Amino acid sequence: MNAQRLMALVVAIIISVPLMFPDGQNVGLVNAILIWSIFAIGFDLVFGVAGMLSFGHAAFFGVGAYTLSLLTMRMGWDFIPALGAAGLVGGALALVFSYFAIRVSGLFFALLTLALSQLIYIMAGTKLRMLTGGVDGIAGVPRPDLFGIDFYNDSNYYFFLLTLFVLALLISGLIRISPLGQALKAIKSNEVRAEQIGFNVQRLQRSVFTISGIYAGVSGGLLASLIFYVGPQMLHWKTSGDVVIMVLLGGMGTLFGPILGVAIFEIMREWLSTQTSHWYGILGLIFIISTIAMPKGIAGMIIQLWNRIMPGSKP
Amino acid sequence: MSTIVIGLSMGMLLFLLAAGLTLIFGMLRVINFAHGSLYMLGAYLAFQVVNITGSFWAGLIAAPIIAAIVGALMERIALRPVYNRDHVYQLLLTFGFILVIDEAVRIIWGLEYKQMYPPELFSGAIEMFGSSVPSYRLFIIGFGAAVSAGLFFMLDRSRYGMIIRAASGDPEMVRTLGINVSLVRTGVFSFGAGLAALGGAVAGPLFPIELGMGFNIIIDSFIVVIIGGLGNIRGAVLAALLIGMTRALGYSYAPSWVDFLTFILLIGTLILRPEGLFSRKGRTA
Repeated sequence: MNAQRLMALVVAIIISVPLMFPDGQNVGLVNAILIWSIFAIGFDLVFGVAGMLSFGHAAFFGVGAYTLSLLTMRMGWDFIPALGAAGLVGGALALVFSYFAIRVSGLFFALLTLALSQLIYIMAGTKLRMLTGGVDGIAGVPRPDLFGIDFYNDSNYYFFLLTLFVLALLISGLIRISPLGQALKAIKSNEVRAEQIGFNVQRLQRSVFTISGIYAGVSGGLLASLIFYVGPQMLHWKTSGDVVIMVLLGGMGTLFGPILGVAIFEIMREWLSTQTSHWYGILGLIFIISTIAMPKGIAGMIIQLWNRIMPGSKP
Repeated sequence: MSTIVIGLSMGMLLFLLAAGLTLIFGMLRVINFAHGSLYMLGAYLAFQVVNITGSFWAGLIAAPIIAAIVGALMERIALRPVYNRDHVYQLLLTFGFILVIDEAVRIIWGLEYKQMYPPELFSGAIEMFGSSVPSYRLFIIGFGAAVSAGLFFMLDRSRYGMIIRAASGDPEMVRTLGINVSLVRTGVFSFGAGLAALGGAVAGPLFPIELGMGFNIIIDSFIVVIIGGLGNIRGAVLAALLIGMTRALGYSYAPSWVDFLTFILLIGTLILRPEGLFSRKGRTA
């Protein structure tokens, strides 16, 4: 057993709560954790693995949500192909963004992705009002209709989400150990060197950004179906900020860290918002403190603690 | 004519914010996401001081001073420990401050819109070239021009300006010469925060004071500093006027396309000249 497995165990416990306590109390929370985790896992491919801070992921997330809603509600598509389309549209938009944004790096990249996603947000609220319902959004987004199972029951929908979550985690794990993942790590640690070795840096960055956009699009579509609603606030920069906080809190660049971050974020949202209406400010404070005190997040802390308790075990 | 006045006053307002942003970037290599929140804080503070004292001018003076103290605390407590890390962490910290400052404002002043009025002296309108122009707008133009002139004078001619320029170029060397660079950093951040709040106080009588006002203007300020070239304060002046005029013209001829126009300027700049339209090599402040 090592720290990596310990984290996997913690994640497994969190997501299997509805199995252990099937009274349906926590299932809504776990469903939200599963969906946001898919978003965070995909975001960390760009942020943690490739080292690019994007502040525009809300655009892919929100566009995925709108795609799913419009295709199922207006065009009469089935849920599964519409969810696939949500991922594709999210990925396509990410590809478009990347053509602009990858020309610049570092802080400029963060600013440009922010500006581009804000453009989408403004468009959804004004120009595309016919399509998106403007600030009111679209209510009544459906859930899948498969094998005669009633997915409108949260406990049943949990299994559907769990399947997709495991799939997303597997794919992300494979990407991390694949040549693509290795090349991205090389780019993150030294872009110039990676280019000199012969990697096509921009193309690799574009690929991972697109993959991450697909993750965001799918999770956005899922969230719309979970809460039966899609609105422009899903496209808002605060959504981009949320996913950044989640990933940094949990531990960027690790496979399980982002999921821990999502779990803590969502549990806090659930718990703090019943205690005080100022939970977002408290979240900001926690984020500031944790960024200063533990830059590698909870995952980094667990690894450190584990190595202290178990010296000699492999990290 | 009124379009030009609106554009110029908008540009001056943007310049107050962009100057702080670009000074902070030049000195600390930090993009201050919380700049819009400081601007909003400035507007609320000015509103509060005006309510208590009844004088617009007291608000205009007090708001930047309080915000500068807040800025100094932000830099001391949060940013200083992470200077050695990747710049991304500093940006993220300032993002955290958006949440904290916004919440603090919500707790103190609540959710309702607040309204401020221009001072007695500038509450009327003036006839200019056949159209009537609110004199408060003219005040903003004059005030902004005065502040920017003072800023340039300070940066180019005074000893402090020399230290700031030197320290943003080569902090190690300046430290070796016996200057407390970390104090300069705190000073610059705090000064930038004060400028943002000054912008907020000036904008108070123009727009309703509300929680979202910071974010609406911060995107425009980012666009200004990018077009002007990050860390380039001369570029910031021109870019601020450019964006201000674009906005004003857009509002009078094609209101629904205004945001697109500014974004197109931004994207065009980043593609054609990522270092900014007005950048010159070797100049930092």
